[in-house]
Amino acid sequence: MNTDFPKAPLPLPRAEDVTEELAALEGPPVIPAGLRRTLFPVITKEDVFKMLLSTRVDPAKVVADFAEAYREYVGAAHALPTASGTSSLHLALVGAGVRPGDEVVVPAFTFIATAQAVVAAGAIPVFADIEPDTYCLDPAAAERAVTERTRAIMPVHVHGLPADLTALRAVADRHGLALVEDASHAHSATFDGRVAGSLGDAAGQSLMADKNFPVGGEGGIAFFATADAHARAVEYLERHGIDYGMSWIVAAFGASQLERLPYYDEIRARNAARLAEVLGETGLFSAPHVPEGRTHAYNMYRIGLHPDAVGLGDLPVHAVKEVVHELLVAEGVPAREWQNTPIPCHIPFRRREGFGGGYPFSLNPAAARDYAPEDFPVTLSMLSSTLVLCRELRSPVEYERLERYGHAFAKVARRPDAIRKLVGGREFPLPHAKAARLG
Amino acid sequence: MDHFDTAIALSRVLTSGVIMSIERNDRELPALERLLRKVSGRTQVVLVNSATAGLHSALAGLRLGHGDEVVAPALPDAHRRFLDWLGVRVREDGTPAFAYVSPTPADVDRLGPLLTTTAGAPAVVLDLTGLGFGPAAAVLFDDEDAWRRAERLKIFGTFDLRTMWTQAETDEGVGGVQFNYRLSPLVAACVRMALTTQGARA
Ligand SMILES: Cc1ncc(COP(=O)(O)O)c(C=O)c1O
Repeated sequence: MNTDFPKAPLPLPRAEDVTEELAALEGPPVIPAGLRRTLFPVITKEDVFKMLLSTRVDPAKVVADFAEAYREYVGAAHALPTASGTSSLHLALVGAGVRPGDEVVVPAFTFIATAQAVVAAGAIPVFADIEPDTYCLDPAAAERAVTERTRAIMPVHVHGLPADLTALRAVADRHGLALVEDASHAHSATFDGRVAGSLGDAAGQSLMADKNFPVGGEGGIAFFATADAHARAVEYLERHGIDYGMSWIVAAFGASQLERLPYYDEIRARNAARLAEVLGETGLFSAPHVPEGRTHAYNMYRIGLHPDAVGLGDLPVHAVKEVVHELLVAEGVPAREWQNTPIPCHIPFRRREGFGGGYPFSLNPAAARDYAPEDFPVTLSMLSSTLVLCRELRSPVEYERLERYGHAFAKVARRPDAIRKLVGGREFPLPHAKAARLG
Repeated sequence: MDHFDTAIALSRVLTSGVIMSIERNDRELPALERLLRKVSGRTQVVLVNSATAGLHSALAGLRLGHGDEVVAPALPDAHRRFLDWLGVRVREDGTPAFAYVSPTPADVDRLGPLLTTTAGAPAVVLDLTGLGFGPAAAVLFDDEDAWRRAERLKIFGTFDLRTMWTQAETDEGVGGVQFNYRLSPLVAACVRMALTTQGARA
């Protein structure tokens, strides 16, 4: 049987793990090779049973029931299930009234789909920098990017932390703009007690199976605050013959996963809090910042590096980051960069071919700008000084694995001497000087 | 479709734990690609999440985009509207630039012969939605460059998300709009089951 059931358990962590030689220097890795895989999503008998039952139900009803159950969970007024997060963002923009040639302000740091969804809607993404502590769209930078052709602002709840929606709403209101959420990382995350996806005039959200709330492979959902916005999106699909429909198979899996989402959310939050405790003691590393009034969904967990706290303040932070990254990976922690280049500097926004012949950028040449990485200093600083964990805090991560991740960070932070040595004499190009990475 | 066969295919994929199209260990999408290559005799297959994604990918493969003209085969009206949305003008005269096949469950044991009628077309859009597992399609090519452009459209310009996440300056087909047109392995498994258990063979 081809199964994902683990072949062997991870041994219990030991305090000595932290003081042994670094794995990169021939010591024993904190997480032994062969035991490093993080299973995700958790697929249970409930998922199989629900799936089998669904084979006997009208496919349209399976999808509609799923969308209705999740809409209610989120507390949004209207929902439209889709084949992907990208298509849900496209429809959220259309529902919010974005039309060809309009400008939409988006953060320079996100997944490329956020900006490509704007292009799909025939509009032009205008990029603004992020805040240094939340990594989400900076309301002041967003406001500076507004022109008379701006129709909407689309913040991204980066990694699962809601953007500053109070300030962004104020900007939108001052300029008569729609506020459209990209809630793709932020399932169950809250802002003033309201769930991400229900806060904007419209929202799009990926439900692909590597998100905290996974459907059966690939899927998404658009939310709308008004019946008009919802109707606009539905009519658009019909008028243009676009099939963005979600498969009933994908929806059936989502329906059973939804019932367990609060459980998984709780485990993820607990794991994030535990790791924050450990990181807080290292000096070198810091946990994500969560402002008052918000909850973080931790689809990803971005860890800050502070070389000065361990006597490495004279070294370039991106060099320290790169070496620390190598050391962590050698210990068995699959830390990642998750992006290395501001999105406006990715090839599609430098070449701006769009659908062909430069459409829709050709509709609004003033908005189709050549950006330089230095236009986004906060994004660059974040890319140079942070590392990311993705699946590693999600259920079914066992307590012993979580503790071992903590040990690996503690072990690396104890060795500024080794970090300094490994940085010495090597060239370290800035992250954005390398080929752009999507994730 | 046979419910037992569908149930087995779904249970098998769920038990494997791999339901993501960008998972390196996914075996379902490559298996369906292999089957379609065998049935069609084409060398290249792009799997996508709807017929309109298939049309878009076929045109991208053929280097046709906004402002271009295409001689399209007979298409349902909704698909015509979709080409219009892409900014591609449809002409009636001449040899179609691609073929379009939309099998129903009753067609699966004659899919090979059906596809024979598309021989010579530079691309084939095979709409698999009619098989009953939700929106799904495949685009068939013989040209590797066309295949690469279509693959890139569907996964944000990365040549192969299963192994690689970078976009390089030298890559062709990464300068424009990009979508997520990826098909779920669960849907692919059911499509393959329908095509094999009901007798569609090369
Ligand atoms: C922030 C963000 N927006 C949008 C998307 C696009 O979602 P999907 O891959 O489901 O199309 C992603 C996806 O992965 C994402 O991280």
